[in-house]
Parts: sequence; C-alpha cells; structure tokens
Amino acid sequence: MRRGLILASLLLFVATGFAVLKQSRSLTPVGNTPSLTGQVEYCLTCHADLPVISQSHPVETFGCVLCHGGEPLALTADLAHSTLRGGGNPSDLTVVEASCGGEKCHNGTPQVNRDHIQRVTTSLQATYAGAIAQVRYAFGAQPDLTAQMGIFAIDGLSAFDPTAEASPAIQSFGMNCLYCHLTAQPLVGDEYSRWSGCSACHSPSPREDGTLVHQLTTSVAYTQCDKCHNRGNYSLLDIKFHPREDAPTDRLHDYYQPIAEFTRCEWTLDCIDCHTRQEAMGDGHIYNNKKEIQYIRCRTCHGTIESLPLTYTITDENDLALRLAFLNPKVDLKVGDTILMTDKGELLWNIRALPGVEGTTPSYELFSKATDQRLTFSPVIGSTCQQKPDQQDARDCHECHATQR
Amino acid sequence: MIAMNAMPRKGDSLSRRNFLILLGKGSLAGSALISMGVLVRFISFHSEASPPTLYDLGLETNYPLGSRITVQSVPATIIHDSQGYHAISLVCPHLGCVIKTTSDGFACPCHGSRFGSDGSLRNGPASKSLTFLQVETNAEGHLILYTSE
Amino acid sequence: MRPSFYDHLHPPTIPAAQARLRFTLGAGGLAVFLTLVVGFTGILVTFFYIPTPELAAKSVQELTFLVPFGWLMRNLHFWSAQLLILVAILHLLRVVFTGAYLPPRRLNYLLGLSLLVICIFLDFTGYVLRWDEGVHWALVAGTNLVRSIPLIGEGLYHALVGGSQPGAATLIRFYAWHLFGLMLILMAVGIWHLFRVRRDGGIAVPPPELRSDKERISRTELSRREGLAMLWATFVLIILAILVPAPLAPAIQEGTASASENLAPWFFLWVQQLLKLGDPFFFGVLIPLGAILLLALVPYFTPQRLSPAELGRWFPHGGRNVQVLVAVIAGVIILLTLLALLPLHI
Repeated sequence: MRRGLILASLLLFVATGFAVLKQSRSLTPVGNTPSLTGQVEYCLTCHADLPVISQSHPVETFGCVLCHGGEPLALTADLAHSTLRGGGNPSDLTVVEASCGGEKCHNGTPQVNRDHIQRVTTSLQATYAGAIAQVRYAFGAQPDLTAQMGIFAIDGLSAFDPTAEASPAIQSFGMNCLYCHLTAQPLVGDEYSRWSGCSACHSPSPREDGTLVHQLTTSVAYTQCDKCHNRGNYSLLDIKFHPREDAPTDRLHDYYQPIAEFTRCEWTLDCIDCHTRQEAMGDGHIYNNKKEIQYIRCRTCHGTIESLPLTYTITDENDLALRLAFLNPKVDLKVGDTILMTDKGELLWNIRALPGVEGTTPSYELFSKATDQRLTFSPVIGSTCQQKPDQQDARDCHECHATQR
Repeated sequence: MIAMNAMPRKGDSLSRRNFLILLGKGSLAGSALISMGVLVRFISFHSEASPPTLYDLGLETNYPLGSRITVQSVPATIIHDSQGYHAISLVCPHLGCVIKTTSDGFACPCHGSRFGSDGSLRNGPASKSLTFLQVETNAEGHLILYTSE
Repeated sequence: MRPSFYDHLHPPTIPAAQARLRFTLGAGGLAVFLTLVVGFTGILVTFFYIPTPELAAKSVQELTFLVPFGWLMRNLHFWSAQLLILVAILHLLRVVFTGAYLPPRRLNYLLGLSLLVICIFLDFTGYVLRWDEGVHWALVAGTNLVRSIPLIGEGLYHALVGGSQPGAATLIRFYAWHLFGLMLILMAVGIWHLFRVRRDGGIAVPPPELRSDKERISRTELSRREGLAMLWATFVLIILAILVPAPLAPAIQEGTASASENLAPWFFLWVQQLLKLGDPFFFGVLIPLGAILLLALVPYFTPQRLSPAELGRWFPHGGRNVQVLVAVIAGVIILLTLLALLPLHI
C-alpha cells in the first residue's frame, strides 16, 4: 500500500510536470487584427515569414481570413486550414465570389471599375465557349459557330458535358483538350504549372523547386501567359494535344511556337503591353470566339498613314489610368499627361505621348508592364510606310515588319 | 546479526524507507503546488482587449476657442480656452460612475459628489478633484487624448 | 472523541473480501471521483465558454489555444466525462453480475440506473455546447427524434429546442440543462444513491452467519485505498488530457452541407445504427427505452432464485437468468456500436 501510494504520487507529479512542459512549449500566438474585419486572427503565428501579397492588400488592413477563409483562432494546422476557401487558392472560380468578391471589392459595378468577377466568369478564358463551339460545329453537333456551351453554365451558356455528346470526336475533345481554361487543373510539368481562377494570371506559378509564391500582381510576364498559350497544337485529326517540341534558347523562340512570324514589338514587349484588360478578362458579355473580343491592332498604337493613334489626357487625380499606374509602378503618370487610348476607350496607361514641338509629328514612349524597358516610337504618319487604307490587318503589317525566324 | 534495513539507526541522516516516504509526500506537495500555479495562470487570462489608452478626437477646429465639448466615448470634456486645450476626465474619482455636466460644474449621479467647472472637488463622498488627461495636437491637426492607464 | 463528518462517510470497518479491487473493480468509487473532476473542470471551462451560436465554437477555440492550460481543463473535462460513462456502465455490470440488486438494494439499483441515464444526457448536452460542425447533425437528428414521439413529440421538441428549429434558444436551453437542470438532478439522485449504499449495509455481502471470510478492513485502510485510486485516476486523466485532445471542429455555419459521414457521439452510436433500419420512433425511441426498461426490471426477474448466501462473489448461480439477459443486451449494444463505425457506402 505504501509503495503503491508513493509510486502513484511520483507518477502524478511527473504527469503534472508534463502538463506544464506541454503548455510552455505551446506556440505563442501572434495576433493580427485587420482593420477591415476587427476580428483577431492568429495565422501569423506560423505564417509570419510569408511576404505581403501585394501593396494593395496589406495584412494590417485585410488580414488573411477575409480572403482565404480558415479558422482565425486555431493554432493547429488541421483545424486552422479546415475551412480554407479553395484550398490554397481562394481565387478559384468556385469560391472567388466569397474571397475576391463583395461590394467593396472586386465584384461591383462597371461604373466604378469593380466588375472583375462578372467579367472573368463570362470571359472566353473561363468558359472556353469559343473552342467548344468550334469543335462541336466541326463535328456536326451544332449548326453554326455561335457559342452555346461553356465549361460551366453561365449567362445563357449551358454546361458542356462530353459524355452527353454523340460524336466520339467531341468526347475525345472533352477528355484530351480541356486543360487550359480558368477552372481547369493544368497538365503535369513546369511548363504548364499555374493556378486556377484569378491567380492563373495574377499569381506567379510555383517555382521550379516546388515552393509557392505568395503574390498578387498586375505585372504579368509573357511566361505566365505561356503556361496555356503557345504550348502546342490541338489536332482535329486525332483530337489530341501535341506539345511543342522545340528547345528555345532566346526570347523570340521561347515566346511563340514555331508557326508564324512576328514583328519586333510582339516579342520584345510582353502580352499585356498590348492586349487590354477587356481582351484578357472579358467585358462581361458572352462572345463566340477570340476574334470577337480581341481588337488590339498595330494601328491602335501606331496609327494609320492618315490618322494618329487616339489619345486621352488625364484630368482627374482619381482617374483609372493613375490607379492602374499605381498598381504597377513602371511610369510616373501624372494629371495632365496624355496617354494612348483604344477605340473602345480602354486606356493604354503605359504609353505616353512625349512632349513635342508644335507642328511636328508627335512621338510616344512605352514602358513595358512586365520588364523594365522604355521604348520610344513614332506613328505611321510621316514615315515611309506603304500602308493602304483597306489593308490594316496584322498580316499586312507583318509583310514588311515580321522577323525571319 | 541485525538486518541492515530493519530499523533506522540513530544518527542516520535518512533511511531508505523514510526517503521514499519523503519522496511520496514531496511529490504530492509538488503536484498540489503545480496545480495551484496552473489554476492561477488559467484564471488570470484576459480574453478581451483592455480599453484603448489613446483617442483621436478629430480635427482641432471642431473644438473652437471658448467651447466645452463632451466626448462620451472616453468619457471626457474638452475645454478650449486661452491657455489651450484641456481634457477633464468624466470618471468619478469616488467609485467610477460617469459624471454629468451641470449648469455650474459637474455632479455624479451615483452618490452625489459635486465638482466645479474646473473639475475641483466641491462636495460629496469623493475625496479628489476630477483628473485632467493629457491632450495634444498631432501633425495632421487632430486632437489626441491619452488616458492615464 | 466524537466522530466527524469525514468519519461518517465510511463505516468503522467493512468486510475485506468484498472490499477487494477484483470484486468491486472500484467502479462505484471511481464514478464518484470522476463526477467530482468533471464538475470542477466544468466550472473552470464555464469561465471562458460563451453560449451564443456566433461565439460558442469561437470561445471553445479560444479556450483551447489562447488560455494558459485551457486545453488541459477542456481535455480533462472531456475525458473525465467519457470515462465516467464507461465506469458507470462497468459499475452497473458489476452490480448485476454479483447479484447486488436484491432487496434491500432494489431501489438503489434503480437510482443507479437513473444516474447512468442522467450522465448520458449530461454528456450529450455538453457535446452540443461545442456548436461546431462535428455536433451539428447530431443535434438536428437528436431533436427531430424527440419530435417523432406520438402525441407529445411536438411539445417536447419545442420545449427542448425553444423554437421551430435549432438555434440560439436551443443553445441556451442545452446550456441551462447541462450546467444546472441535469446537474441538480444528478446531485440529488447521486446523494440519495450514496446514502442508500450505507443504509442498505454497504457493499453487498452474505449475512454475517453465512460469511466464510470474517476478515475486515478499517476505515483508515479503506480511505488509503480510495486515495490510491484517486491518485491513479488523476494520473491517467492527465496523461489522456496531454496525449489525446478533445475533438474540435469549425463553427456551425448556416447552409453547410454535411460531410459524407456523420457519426453520432460514441455513446449513441448504437442508436444511430438502429436508426438505419427504419421508423425513427420505433428504432430510435422505443427500442432504447425498451433496453432501459429491461435493465430496470433486472431486480424483479426471478429474484427468488438468488439467495443472499450467494452474494459477495461474481456470477452467482442463482442469478444466471439476469446475467444472461444483461450480457445479451450489452453484447447487442456493443455489436451495434461496432457496426455503426463501418463505412456507410453512400
């Protein structure tokens, strides 16, 4: 009895010691109370070394939970991450409304330039409506090239279901060719590696060693676009994807597949230096194919033999152009500057008219959105260009200006 | 021959039997002490943040010369006179009720303490005058109030 | 010297043979100790728990992760509660298999059975207070089961839930039951149960003239044994609290779809398995009530076959009927519990 009591007392003492030890080794919570929510969250206890995701989303204002979800008070990984939206990617289109949306964020009205989610979810990059329409038309499943189906049902499009298609070719298309829209998981391989949803473009792909990059950016390099674009060809003969097989060593050959010739600006600049926000993210309408939404032309920046490119002078300090320039600080844009504008009124904020002498042809400076280049150029007017008014397509400019590969 | 451990010998510092008993009682005492400590730490935890010690009262132009303005959130009365800005705490120094402003000063509705318009004690169970809090102007022209804690 | 209150807790001596651990398993005493631990740790966690739907799960997480030793108090509360149910069942089985339900102990047997039922409901109400996804569907199914009772079902449901569906009112009522209502009833019945143990002559033994072993132990020796048991029990509880945390899940959100498998709390798994078979009232209310009724009838089931001379040992011959009955009930419940753990194949 005595020995038993002594043993039990000793063990009890050791056990209480263990309890104190466990408490002393428990994580010291690092709290952050973001000003937008007012609710304390302890994500930074483990994730303090994560870089701030962007200058527009400081952690003191947004915190982590507002975008990512998760359990703000939990200090064990399982519980903390159990209610994360979209796993590691809250911009996945299945959860984007809860993460990036909301009245004050990226899900508002076009008038205040806050309709990003509506535009992206109806865009061709998300719905893949054009490719689906073309393949279904090619194999007789629909009478014309009007977009009828998308990857998911939205805004008049129904959901494409390959198993409900009669043609084996369309079924094969459904199985082999749907790796490159915004809700798809990409093919395996570094050259295809990207996120889904908004992050497909706006977050850099995971690094080659597999580590992730916690970043939201509007400075999207061509390599990011090339995770889907310029990866190879689909063949309508065998309904398979054929990856490109070249081993490029310079920017020109890396940029594009070996199929065509391009002018110097098309490979010196990055995709987003020319292709506008509406082209990339849609304008909220359902289009039948890429051609209908892509409207950037050589003449948008260079003008024609008879007319200068359209310009726009910034008068308001809250102008969208100034906000876009602030997000991606490559050019010190100010009120009073004159920038180029597309014929739909989209502002090319990275191309500015240089102050010129009265009576001479103006010239322009372009600041690349993804690299640190500054390029100057002159319009077509006053040059030795042989343009004809009825020959204004890219292939007409390429006749003289395309590079021999 | 006497067995070695049969009985504790006089003058021995500690026999094995007594040592074990001591160990046992010591463990119990130790466990009890640790448990007291654990309970104290447990109960002492504050789940709510302490009230703020700094208040931004807004632009100083909202407090013109000659005004006496009550800021209920602190609570304090801001007085702007020829010597500058002053802040009188409206927390009664007696037992902490919020003081009311009267025609000729301040009065506490809980136990009837009375104070002059400069916060000095006139009457009542309170034994001290009203406290003056530190107030200053910051770079953007806002009045910043500091509570004593 | 006149005996103090402490001295009245135990008789001066008790028969040694029946005081042995291998006879009683110490189960009754252990149940009392666990009740004290669960009550004390319960007060402590109540300091931090907030009984509103928005803050309940949050306050439990705060207790677990932010309060120093909050995890310890919560885990101790959880483990002492679950072990209490197990030990109470063990004690019931011991009482049945040693024939300790014969008069004058019949009433005490029924009091003890009631205590088990009260403890199970205390466990369930405490479980619901977590108000997280782990308990969400148990709450919905459990309250709807009440509703399936004919005639009084709707009324009982509204009394339990405090509204048309589980919400803030339900949480406050379960909080009131858990901290107060069931606790008061437990205290009253429990004290009566303990009093009756003394009044009925202590641990069930044959009358003195039929006893073979006359050895007795003193109340000091008994206290020492109880002290030892309490030390061991505390040690086990602390080790469990350190190594196996109480369950935690994200808070209940409106409109969440349930996981592919929702398991009932372990002590109701057998009822969940029954409910897979058909009508909720029959399988979920009547059959469990029937099982409790059968257990309650144990002292009335051929008691004349068991003579007091057979008391004081396990599996007395005269109590065979009852032993088989209870063994079968226990076996069925265990089987149903195990079956409930198999995947559902949805």
